[in-house]
Amino acid sequence: MQAESIDTIKFTIVSPELVKKMSVTKLMVPDTYNEDGYPIDGGLVDQRLGVIDPGLKCKTCGGRAKTCPGHFGHIEFVRPVIHPEFAKTVYLLLQSTCNQCGRILLSEEQIGELRPAIKTYVSAEEEEDAARSTELALQGLSDAAKELLLKRLKATKECPHCGTPHPKIKLERPTYFYAGENLRIKPDEIRDWLSKISGSDLTLLGLDAALRPEWLILTALLVPPVNVRPSITLESGERSEDDLTHKLVDIMRINQRLEQDIDAGAPQIIIDDLWELLQYQVTTYFNNETPGVPVARHRSTRPLKTLAQRLKGKEGRLRYNLSGKRVNFSARTVISSDASLTINEVGIPRRIAENLTVPFYVTLWNIEAAKALLLKAEYPMVINAITKEGLRKRVAEANRQELLAAIQPGWVLERQLVDGDIVLFNRQPTLHRLSMMAHTVKVLPGKTMRLHVSVAFPYNADFDGDEMNLHVPQSIEAQAESRYLMQPKDLVLSARDGRAVMFTEEDEIAGAYFLTKDDATFSKEEACTMLAGIGVYDLPRAVKGGVFSGKSIFSMILPDDLDYEEDSKGNKVVIKGGELKEGYIDAKLIGIGGTLIQRMFSSYGSDVTMRFLLNAAKLSLRALLMQGVTISIKDYYNSDFVNGEKLRIVSEVSARASELYSKYKKAELEALPGYSRKETLEMETLATLDEARALASKTLEKVLDRTNIAYLMVLVRARGSVLNLVQTSMLLGQQAVRGKRLSRGYSGRVLPYFRKGDKAPNAKGFIASSFFEGLTPIEFYMHAMGARDSGMTKSLVTAVSGYLQRRLINALQDLYVDRDLSVKDASGALIETLYGGDGIDPMMEQVVRSGA
Amino acid sequence: MPPSYEPIPVHELLSESETAKVAKKFGISLDKFPKINEGDPQAKKIGAKAGQLVAIHREDPTGKYTYYRYVVR
Repeated sequence: MQAESIDTIKFTIVSPELVKKMSVTKLMVPDTYNEDGYPIDGGLVDQRLGVIDPGLKCKTCGGRAKTCPGHFGHIEFVRPVIHPEFAKTVYLLLQSTCNQCGRILLSEEQIGELRPAIKTYVSAEEEEDAARSTELALQGLSDAAKELLLKRLKATKECPHCGTPHPKIKLERPTYFYAGENLRIKPDEIRDWLSKISGSDLTLLGLDAALRPEWLILTALLVPPVNVRPSITLESGERSEDDLTHKLVDIMRINQRLEQDIDAGAPQIIIDDLWELLQYQVTTYFNNETPGVPVARHRSTRPLKTLAQRLKGKEGRLRYNLSGKRVNFSARTVISSDASLTINEVGIPRRIAENLTVPFYVTLWNIEAAKALLLKAEYPMVINAITKEGLRKRVAEANRQELLAAIQPGWVLERQLVDGDIVLFNRQPTLHRLSMMAHTVKVLPGKTMRLHVSVAFPYNADFDGDEMNLHVPQSIEAQAESRYLMQPKDLVLSARDGRAVMFTEEDEIAGAYFLTKDDATFSKEEACTMLAGIGVYDLPRAVKGGVFSGKSIFSMILPDDLDYEEDSKGNKVVIKGGELKEGYIDAKLIGIGGTLIQRMFSSYGSDVTMRFLLNAAKLSLRALLMQGVTISIKDYYNSDFVNGEKLRIVSEVSARASELYSKYKKAELEALPGYSRKETLEMETLATLDEARALASKTLEKVLDRTNIAYLMVLVRARGSVLNLVQTSMLLGQQAVRGKRLSRGYSGRVLPYFRKGDKAPNAKGFIASSFFEGLTPIEFYMHAMGARDSGMTKSLVTAVSGYLQRRLINALQDLYVDRDLSVKDASGALIETLYGGDGIDPMMEQVVRSGA
Repeated sequence: MPPSYEPIPVHELLSESETAKVAKKFGISLDKFPKINEGDPQAKKIGAKAGQLVAIHREDPTGKYTYYRYVVR
């Protein structure tokens, strides 16, 4: 968004005169309330500074607590103090100007030499426009010019203008200045010094000539209104003042004592001590974390939160209050799954539905409905009524009739959330647009918000205690926008590559297989149960013997005119005229990135796709329920052949590894480009040993068949991988840390069990045992090393790539595809002439390519 | 692996009338186009001067398309 462009923002310093002009009163008494609990005049909660107690009137504007914005006061210092945040600027000025004449410590020729570097200033001077000139001068010196200047100044021992020797100035943090080594320059002297500097010399130093440097030495301090530092009344009736008020009391107290001592003619040492104390109080008032300054503490030893602390950091005004705002009409609770919901719905606990509201805009045409709604005294009822004037009134028994009589078009009734309302549902981290989608409300008993499992994937949610947030769009526009752009059913396909991101998983896939495999038949009763479960009260044509084929049952949820073919290894699926003719349904079709889902979406649209997805899942689960699946230890028990193969594989790779080593020893091993021979040996050894797993999976795949349920689950892509099977029943294989075989631990060996320099594969993390057999302690330890490394790497990579992703999103967030399919940013600048180079939306790619 | 070289896509200097046409097509002023420096080797090669528009004929896996750059100093 770019509504108005800001040309310049200028921050300046405030002069003592301005402080006094802004102030409504000079504060004299370093205290807050008197014994009667009444604000002291001239104290820190003086009623002219504004009022926060209800019932009191502001003595400046006459406003009450709600209407008075608060007014500034001021404190006048008896002795000036340095503004701690500007000590550096003061330091620069003292270093570069003459104590006597106030000129910059550069001769006229040197200034002339500098001119090219400070061209901005010169050109600004030539410009007649005064505003423009200050603006340019503010751009200040380039870093190079500043460096040059400081180098010159260092060499200068005396003022080139009046010849006064210039001492080396020392700044001792935070605010102590010395001339030479030991002579302290006090703030009042600094102030006199700074006031001698001319405006043109200031511009040479990159400062604004309109702002006097002596203002950096405070003679008056602006006191914020009480609204900024409200006191709180404890239950005991005791008042507790804000940290800022405490700090200001301290400042005033010291200031007062300093005044008294000066008047009484106290010795200089005492006065200087008090003066330093005043400087300390002011320093901590601005920033209680100033380096080199002891932290000012509360009576309870808690560090005081002063001005800088209010703004700084994660909990500061900027990041906590301005960037992070809290929002109304929202809810958050634990989520759980509900297979009865559609992916488009979200189950809302009754308690939440009763508290969230949706505006009902009363018009001439719905006023009767509005009145009926207003009359209701239980659940779907009106909570608040907002009159034409914008007055929000809580609806209660006492005023219901009154409101009913007053209601007219233009009112807004805030009614409770009901079934069918549209809400935004969100799970953090909100990484992509699918992390926040618009669901239809379904009010349910219980305390959790419920969603369909198929929509858990785009949210990256599971139900082990995850919580999610809910927002109720209030305006009609927001509701419409949510409906049109954010409903899960319309977002089934990924905007990245057009593959399904809402699909069936695990049991559902297994069930689909058992339902649709070639020999699957079901009795009439079974068929009825399954189909009735998804609201289909019709049966497919029975095959001989009065039984129904699984394929025909599944076909009941397919559109009648669907023709579809898919050929993936070993499973050719043919659907003709909405009838599954050949093959079985597996994850390739209805799992992640499922091609059948994709096809349904492009050919039949969101509603049919959603229905199909839900029906397929439910039907499959019913089928699985009838079948039952058990994975037993039998599935992982190897035949003698497999065990023999395993030994063969292990000895084969070991032999190849040792062969590599002897080649290396004989200097026959050639180094790969860019690597040493030693590195080459290590890489090739790792590759060789790593192959053991691949060989083992080949063996397993040869031996196993569909009677092995674990393998069957792998085949239909319901769960698990061949690698899992290999590691459970054959061998774990090579363990790696940082992409290398295990090498570190003890000197020359991983564990003291091995001899130093042991070349055997198992000494460097090759594990020939399987989970089934069990691991030796040595193997266990090595496995843990690999596991820890991959765990650490994973968590590190997610953190780093997450942040990179975030920065990329922030950089690209206001790019949009224009009507001519070009990509532009918010300022209208062209980014890409044609979106993606081809103008195709991946989500709709199928549609475009097939011309459907 | 032997290195593979790909020539820089062809840069073409647009005439004033073509420039106006392109700007009108995208409905934006010239300074809203992506920029190319006058000193860029390709800009030098075709003698592009600040204020002119360069068409770049690209070809990548998505197909052939034309990109535009506004020449700046």
